[in-house]
Amino acid sequence: MGSVLAAASPSPAPAAAGASQGVQGLASVPPGFTMPPLSSVSPTSGQQTADAEPPLANPGTYEECHRKCKEVFPLQMEGVRLVVNKGLSNHFQVSHTVTLSTLGDSGYRFGSTYVGTKQTGPAESFPVMVGDMDNTGSLNAQIIHQLASAVRTKIAIQTQQHKFVNWQCDMEWRGEDFTAAVTLGNPDITVGSGILVGHYLQSITPALALGGEVVYHRRPGEEVAVTSLLGRYTGDNYVATLTLGAAGGHATYYHKATDQLQIGVEFEANTRMQDTTTSFGYQLDVPKANFLFKGTVDSNWMVGATIEKKLLPLPLTLALGAFLNHRKHKFQCGFGVTIG
Amino acid sequence: MPTIEELPPAEGPAPSRPPADEIDDDEDEDLDETLMERLWGLTEMFPDTIRTAAEVSASCSVSLAKTFYGFSRSALWVGTTSFMILVLPVVFETERLQLEQQQLQQQRQILLGPNTGMSGGMPGMMPPAPGKM
Repeated sequence: MGSVLAAASPSPAPAAAGASQGVQGLASVPPGFTMPPLSSVSPTSGQQTADAEPPLANPGTYEECHRKCKEVFPLQMEGVRLVVNKGLSNHFQVSHTVTLSTLGDSGYRFGSTYVGTKQTGPAESFPVMVGDMDNTGSLNAQIIHQLASAVRTKIAIQTQQHKFVNWQCDMEWRGEDFTAAVTLGNPDITVGSGILVGHYLQSITPALALGGEVVYHRRPGEEVAVTSLLGRYTGDNYVATLTLGAAGGHATYYHKATDQLQIGVEFEANTRMQDTTTSFGYQLDVPKANFLFKGTVDSNWMVGATIEKKLLPLPLTLALGAFLNHRKHKFQCGFGVTIG
Repeated sequence: MPTIEELPPAEGPAPSRPPADEIDDDEDEDLDETLMERLWGLTEMFPDTIRTAAEVSASCSVSLAKTFYGFSRSALWVGTTSFMILVLPVVFETERLQLEQQQLQQQRQILLGPNTGMSGGMPGMMPPAPGKM
């Protein structure tokens, strides 16, 4: 169930050179940042504002609520990674990745992104087709297309060598002030098994959005349904999100302190494993020095950081990462170079 | 025979050995033994509560010192490595940026005259003439 939900989040979206940004342009700005409160302006205006409420904006998708905070945290890096991105045209981009690793497998991965011609906004074009294939033959592929003005669909498959591990179809409807999405994962008609996930997110006020998620999992002889609720509050320079469910709770807080410094705090409680984790992360962006630094401190006595530095004038980006677990006395470091 | 047998149980050194050495040996042995015993005997004069309090405080302070030493060791290690990972790269980069900007400023000063380098410096009175220098 976890892998389907992870795959249900929007694709990594490498930007096509000079073209629209694809999936990441979906909901990059939460409503509170762009909507000034209009209710104080003129309740007696000539328009038909019978309830005198400011127009509510679309709240974005369900998966993106925790994303702003998660992006502040560094990723654990291990081994050496070389990525070459090449844009072949406005619509097509290709990437080669070579990974050398001490703990896992080393390999080569080829990825390609195609962005279509139907332009729906300044940063979005559809259809978007993303695929990548491993040297062992494992394939990840996603197709995202906009069927109507408010309906977007996504089909994703994932294989491990020749065996299909994940296949799912996802449909999302964006209304005026709400977003509803349905995902069908790994449906198997012969066995009668599958996973059905429903998401709903509604803007109550320009700052507050509430939503829920229902996961229905069916296997021959067993069916399980799990529900969870989500609430997100957006302030001037902060976003606070809370998810509560039977499997535990997850709360995140994102704060933009200055132009350069962003802070995220995350609290996660798991009822199945009976443990809680608190993490604190910060991101320091110094564009003058082409330097991006992300650091994190954890309640599991884990300390980690990543540095990304653009080595101008060449189109090179150097990434260094180090993670240290004080409790288990384990250290992991890695570096990567991205060309293009 | 009975006289010889009777003598050893009596106190005092045995007549077979020279008396002076015997006395020294015995006293040395007695001294070693009795010094510790004497000191220990001295403590017996204090009441029980004081003795137990002294014992407890001595052992507590020893264990506290050990704990504090161990804690300070691991705290120093954790602090140093965490500082190294979380703060040091940022410090390096900001210092480098500052130095670079200073260098650029200096170069601009040398190239264009002493007033163009300063942001809000004095109004330019001297014409830039680097060649004449």
